[in-house]
Amino acid sequence: MNQIRRDWASKTSAGAILGFSLAIGLAGLFAWLTPGGLATPNKFQLVMWLTAPIWLTTLSLCFFFSSGMRAWLWLGGANLLAYAGLFACRFFLR
Amino acid sequence: MRSDVVRLYKVVHTWTGITAGMFLFIAFYAGSITVFAEPLARWVSSPAPVRLTALARSDELIARTLAVRPDAAKEFTLYLTDTEDLWARLTWRKGKDDRTPWSAELSPAGEVRLAQSYRSSLADFVDNIHRTAGIPGANDIGETIMGVVSAVYAVALVSGLIIVLPSLVKDLFALRIGANLKRMWLDAHNVVGVVSLPFHIVIALSAVVFCLHDQLYDALDYVVYDGRLKSIMAASNPFNSIKKDERPAPMLPVNALLERVKAASPSFVPAEMRYRNAGSRGASVQVWGYDTRYMTRGKGFAVISPVTGEIANTDYLPGREGTWTGVVATFFALHFATFGGDVVRVCYFLLGIAGAFLFYSGNLLWIESRRRTERRNGGPVIQKTSTRLMSAATVGVCLGAICAISITIVAAKWLNGRVANIDVWHNGVYYAVFLASVLWSFLRGAAAASVELLWLAAIAAAAIPFTSLFSWALPALGMQGSASMAALGVDLVALSAALCFVWMARSAAHRVQCGPADSVWAASHRQLQEAAR
Repeated sequence: MNQIRRDWASKTSAGAILGFSLAIGLAGLFAWLTPGGLATPNKFQLVMWLTAPIWLTTLSLCFFFSSGMRAWLWLGGANLLAYAGLFACRFFLR
Repeated sequence: MRSDVVRLYKVVHTWTGITAGMFLFIAFYAGSITVFAEPLARWVSSPAPVRLTALARSDELIARTLAVRPDAAKEFTLYLTDTEDLWARLTWRKGKDDRTPWSAELSPAGEVRLAQSYRSSLADFVDNIHRTAGIPGANDIGETIMGVVSAVYAVALVSGLIIVLPSLVKDLFALRIGANLKRMWLDAHNVVGVVSLPFHIVIALSAVVFCLHDQLYDALDYVVYDGRLKSIMAASNPFNSIKKDERPAPMLPVNALLERVKAASPSFVPAEMRYRNAGSRGASVQVWGYDTRYMTRGKGFAVISPVTGEIANTDYLPGREGTWTGVVATFFALHFATFGGDVVRVCYFLLGIAGAFLFYSGNLLWIESRRRTERRNGGPVIQKTSTRLMSAATVGVCLGAICAISITIVAAKWLNGRVANIDVWHNGVYYAVFLASVLWSFLRGAAAASVELLWLAAIAAAAIPFTSLFSWALPALGMQGSASMAALGVDLVALSAALCFVWMARSAAHRVQCGPADSVWAASHRQLQEAAR
């Protein structure tokens, strides 16, 4: 089995930056897709709370990727999916 | 778990822990005290200079106050409790940061007595240290930094868990007390960390949210809400649930309003009523209070119209919140220990102190892993600069914060009513003691300073119950100690803390004289003698 690469800078930045954007994207999907949609009063607080666990779980676990490159690719892909979903919501649910 | 993954996460844990450790020590120690903010406020309070108006005369008090001071109608607060830290029945102020609110009382003859006084809360000061770890600065810079620290802390938690997972069953309840001190500290660090892990996860995540919510909302507004978040927030704002209407209208009596709230939630115990635009048709009253049957944000409230008596909003009334605010209230409760009453508060206090121990022991392990040992070097050693500085910083910052908080509490009681602006004194005393302790630790070295600062911590903690004794024994001092159970509890906890510090100081002194000479905790003359041999 290949030795896991340390890649501190690229893994940490992937977890911090892409983890954050992923958290915003997934929380956004939650806001759109749970009952009532985006403009439901009082929902925005829970939406904001959701970002912290998603962001920090990603940041904490991203050192499991075998290299920084893989971390960027996988998390980048996850971001693409999340934001594609977000744009779809904007387009179809508005 | 593959061993190379564990090794990698060991590095993550080491560096996240050592970066966040001392900030978190201060935040946890002050946070434990903040759990008992109310007893602390009662302990430090001086009795109200005038007799408070009886609750039964509240309607008369409101009517007469508004007659002489129409400017109070915009927003004033009527307090319903009768604890010793209550200093006025009715108060109003200009804006949130107005530190010199007005207050009104009725004389027995029915005349209104107005007063303007400087108000400050020691409990708020300790809470501020909790939220910022004592990092000063405008624009909540301390909170923003602590938000980042909390994010680092979350990573430290997960990485710590990953490291102990492979040997969890084997090592968790093994506390190997013996010659290998580092092993014992590591066992203690692990068992405290694993047992209180759920608490730490809750605290880390909620602290990130509390400190960085502005930034998170901005990002969500930009990416998800397309700039509409402000209007959604305004539409959700419970304080906007009664529309402005300036036509004059008579208000229902206080008791009638409280009856309506009681009907809406029988277990809710009102503590204060915040009136807005009193005397107009668009008037509103927020009835704030407690409900121990639910997980709450602390105080909850209902918004009621004092004109019609209709309840306009229950989004923040415990048990009546609705889905979205209800879930969020649970998160608040899990951070603030505002559920389950005193049992949970005591548990949170102990978990907070255990958390402080976790960060302190983490720093000790960092130092122990890096110091030079006689065994490895085959002879007497002089310690590396890094371990010398880190041990001095750990002792100075951690014990400095403990001493500074105790001395600020004591000073608050002695200075209450004797100085014009007590906030300045809170800050002055805290930072003077804290910075002096840090300086002392670097000048004297960690070994000597640990003993001396622990003695100071013991004396400072003991000064809290002694201050109470003085205030009872010598009424001429004008401090008038409180004799409520809540205030006595503060004295009792401080006394036991003092005894703990004495025990710690004595064992630290023993270690300085009799511990291994190649430790950073040995007296410096012993380290030098060893090295010269």
